[in-house]
Amino acid sequence: MAKEYLVVSFPRTRRVLINGQFSGTTNIILELEDGQYEVTLGPPKNFTPEKYDIDLHGTSSMNPMIVEFKVLKL
Amino acid sequence: MKNNAVRTFALMLLVSLLIGCSHYTVNEQNRKFDSLSGYRFDTLSPGPKNSDSLFVCLMFSGGGTRAAALSYGIMDALRKKVIRVNGRETRLLDEVDCISSVSGGSFTAAYYGLFREQLFDDFRTKFLERDIEGALFDSLFNPYNWARLASSYFGRIDLAAELYDSDIFDAANFEQLQKNGRPFVMLNATNLGADRRFDFTQDYFDALGSRLDNYPVARAVAASSAFPYLLTPISLKNYPLAQGYTAPWWYKNALTPKNWITDRFNAAKNLSVYLDKENSYIHLMDGGLSDNIGARAILDAFDRGFIRTRINQGTIKQLVLIVVNARTQSEDQLSRHEVPPGLLTVSEKTATIAMDNYSYDSVSKLREALYARVQVQKDDKAYAAALTKYCPQAPKPISFAADIDPYVIEINFEAVNQIPGENQRYYLDMPTSFKLNEEQVGKLLNIGPKLMQATPQYECLIKVLDAEAAGLPRPEVCPQGAGIFN
Repeated sequence: MAKEYLVVSFPRTRRVLINGQFSGTTNIILELEDGQYEVTLGPPKNFTPEKYDIDLHGTSSMNPMIVEFKVLKL
Repeated sequence: MKNNAVRTFALMLLVSLLIGCSHYTVNEQNRKFDSLSGYRFDTLSPGPKNSDSLFVCLMFSGGGTRAAALSYGIMDALRKKVIRVNGRETRLLDEVDCISSVSGGSFTAAYYGLFREQLFDDFRTKFLERDIEGALFDSLFNPYNWARLASSYFGRIDLAAELYDSDIFDAANFEQLQKNGRPFVMLNATNLGADRRFDFTQDYFDALGSRLDNYPVARAVAASSAFPYLLTPISLKNYPLAQGYTAPWWYKNALTPKNWITDRFNAAKNLSVYLDKENSYIHLMDGGLSDNIGARAILDAFDRGFIRTRINQGTIKQLVLIVVNARTQSEDQLSRHEVPPGLLTVSEKTATIAMDNYSYDSVSKLREALYARVQVQKDDKAYAAALTKYCPQAPKPISFAADIDPYVIEINFEAVNQIPGENQRYYLDMPTSFKLNEEQVGKLLNIGPKLMQATPQYECLIKVLDAEAAGLPRPEVCPQGAGIFN
């Protein structure tokens, strides 16, 4: 099955959790199967939003889906 | 007279007790779910000599002793091949991370998983050169077993499992496999109720609400090799889910109806068979019925399992998949006769044609999936180079965590003609049974390594590893992708 491409953007290198599973790090291309996922980052919890619910399809490695987390200012 | 009546009564009582007490070994319920324990890839120690950067998985096909012997020969060749990885000397065998096996191949896989180097000391006499079929018939003709077999809960497969347990696997269970660490051995069987693949790993047993650690490895091998008609199914109980159970990460939202054409949806459907507790029992037979090559377990790991997570984490550099396919093919005599084939021939063909084609497609799918990744990597590099040249101010494109350099090395009898002095027909006509003579076993052990070394993909792997060890550039004759199509 063809793969889809996701980039989780964050100003720092941080673990990326896909449906709760450590699946790589921020700011690189992740290769996944087509479909719906919950995307969030590993600790510390200093980011916003808390998570993204995405429907990953129609991407390419040169045009990946990009979800952006920002540093939460406490 | 009175004594005879007492004897007859005692005998009948004994037989009734035997029938009543004969029951297959039931898998135990698991009360508390723990994703960090049990027989799953991530809980296994990699071992001191195993790197993730060179990630090696083996697939052992079905084919009775023929398949077990061919797999053994490959294991022996991997043991003898010394390489250097990350500046450290090791053997290719020590780099094996997982083995997915079916039927006859499961004997070699499980034996190595349990007893490691002992495989090369005694597996040949303990299994390969032994008349296992004869031993099975002996136990079948033992009057003690007649009474046991009269029970609905005890079949011929249970006798086979007892034999394997006592004579081959020394009553070992999956806890022992887990203690040994990698390689992760996936013993594949077929669920007759769902018509789908099933493997003896804790992920599957979690869905059954069951423990795998104390389950005999011999029963898993028996299920994997339970040839239809000759043997009966191995049955497992499907319990309520353990407290705290969570499905594998990829399962969530996978059953969205609009995604029904995807492999992820299909995998989720497979798991949902066990999550449906109305399916109280699972009946398993030969893994070859659903995948006679063991490739589907590896494809699953590549698509959404332990291989995928490591690719995305950037830990895998070379991904090496070695397919040991003991498929045979009788000479086509049908096409030379005017008279149509009879019922027996048609039955045999019905059982094997779909299986052989599916096996071929499974390996093709593996090759295509890995080659697609190579093409994406090449495209991305070309794009980045063009950007640097024509638009140097533009931000650099985002890349993968690491490029992977994949290899699919298939060993089968198709290539025997390339080996000087060998007769391909000798191997293609070899029977599928658990009884081969010493000469047949010897020739299989001998031909496997030669076939592997003759593949251009294996040649490239060794050239690339040697060049890396010597600090030399990648050989031009082996560009990335040459490990797939060369």
